[in-house]
Amino acid sequence: MSKFLECIGVGKIYPGKTEPVEALRGIDFACGAGDFLCLLGRSGCGKSTLLQMVAGLERPTAGQIVVADRELDGPSTATSIVFQDHGLFPWMTVQKNVEFNMKARGTKAAARLAVARRFLDMTSLTAFANRYPHELSGGMRQRVGIARALTTDPKALLMDEPFGALDAQTRAKLQDELLQIWAKQRTTVLFVTHSIDEALLLADRILVFTPRPGRIAADVKVDLPRPRAPQSAEFSVLARELRGLVGADREID
Amino acid sequence: MQFRRVLGLLPLALLFVAWALAVEFKVYPQVLLPPPAKVAMVFIDDWETVLGNALASITRVIIGISMAFLFAVPLGLMIGRYQLLDTMTDWSIQIFRSIPPIALIPLALLFLGIGDKPAIALIFLAGTWPLLINTIFGVRNIERTLIKVARAARASEFLVMKDIILPAALPTIFTGLRLAVGGGWLTVVTAEMIAVKSGLGYMILNAQLTFRSDLIIAGIVVIGGIGLLADQAVRRVRAHVCRWQEGLTASPE
Repeated sequence: MSKFLECIGVGKIYPGKTEPVEALRGIDFACGAGDFLCLLGRSGCGKSTLLQMVAGLERPTAGQIVVADRELDGPSTATSIVFQDHGLFPWMTVQKNVEFNMKARGTKAAARLAVARRFLDMTSLTAFANRYPHELSGGMRQRVGIARALTTDPKALLMDEPFGALDAQTRAKLQDELLQIWAKQRTTVLFVTHSIDEALLLADRILVFTPRPGRIAADVKVDLPRPRAPQSAEFSVLARELRGLVGADREID
Repeated sequence: MQFRRVLGLLPLALLFVAWALAVEFKVYPQVLLPPPAKVAMVFIDDWETVLGNALASITRVIIGISMAFLFAVPLGLMIGRYQLLDTMTDWSIQIFRSIPPIALIPLALLFLGIGDKPAIALIFLAGTWPLLINTIFGVRNIERTLIKVARAARASEFLVMKDIILPAALPTIFTGLRLAVGGGWLTVVTAEMIAVKSGLGYMILNAQLTFRSDLIIAGIVVIGGIGLLADQAVRRVRAHVCRWQEGLTASPE
């Protein structure tokens, strides 16, 4: 499988108020096209920082990131990002929100409309196209965020704890939908989460981060067939293993 | 709802009753305090004077505030967006805005003479600061994720300004416009007492010189009435332009 993303010795140090804060150190990994990769770790372990750097929103202070065979020097057209707080524009209807990334690339209005319709349909939002974000539930808002991210036909979806703010039921539903979309679009997914169960449900491969400075503690392959059952024995074994790696903590479910 | 609004006129009604009683019991001579009926007659006998002067005042405010809007809003968007511009202007803005426009009447007269020009210049100044400060404030308070969404989508600076910064700041820009219109209206009446030979301010000062206290009171009623209508008009426009805010904020204001 071809390499889509590669991090080589990536580190990040923030200036900090009194002294520099090292968020990430020596991050090395590669990820094939079409992989579903989870970045798992406690809050403050730098996994979100890494995602922001892969998205081109922040620059590493050491090492380099290669996306689609090009060293990153800003946001890449090959990736789209989905945020935990969805980042929808409250003054735009769902339709206009979904069209925004295409508009930013100069896509003509008619083409935008057609593509937006397709992804609104895929995320079951067609009936809400003319609503404003605040009229939607949290789960629907995040669907809009995902639909918007998909419109530019990205090679990779970068997802920063996208379901972190949702209730358990909605979260399970959206995880399921995401897997269906992933199976259909064959995009690479880089998914940040602090939930061991979520990582095990979704990923082909899990990178476990240790905090301060964030480093990759383990690179775990998940070979369980989908759909995965959290009640199954293999699942529990892996979950226990991951719990040990993450360093058990009340924050982790 | 409308009835509740009308209830807000209660203090005014009490004042009116006090006025009528004061006239009835001859607390002041009629030359000083005319009966309400005599003031009402002004709107029949002297309606041309009142209307002409009111229109002169309104026109000045519309011109002055429009100029302030066209100047302050784009400038505020830039200052709010670019830190360097803010650093270069912050203290100057704080100093300028603490100078009451009225204090500049002598200078305005010296440089612009008697007439519309000094009055409009002062209204422009009265409107500029609230508009500028509120626009900057509106831009500052944009959710950070929204800017990240735009950057990740590689949106042009122009699109960011037009589709994100401006609409996000619009509610506070309108707050600034309300303050500007109110301040402009206060300024025009004062400026007309000194710098121009027409308008409501000129009319009531002139009425004092001719012992027409009925015309003074009629003028004050008109000034108050127009002030209320102008404020309501801005609120209406704001409610229409910022429809997307409905249900987002705790109260309509």
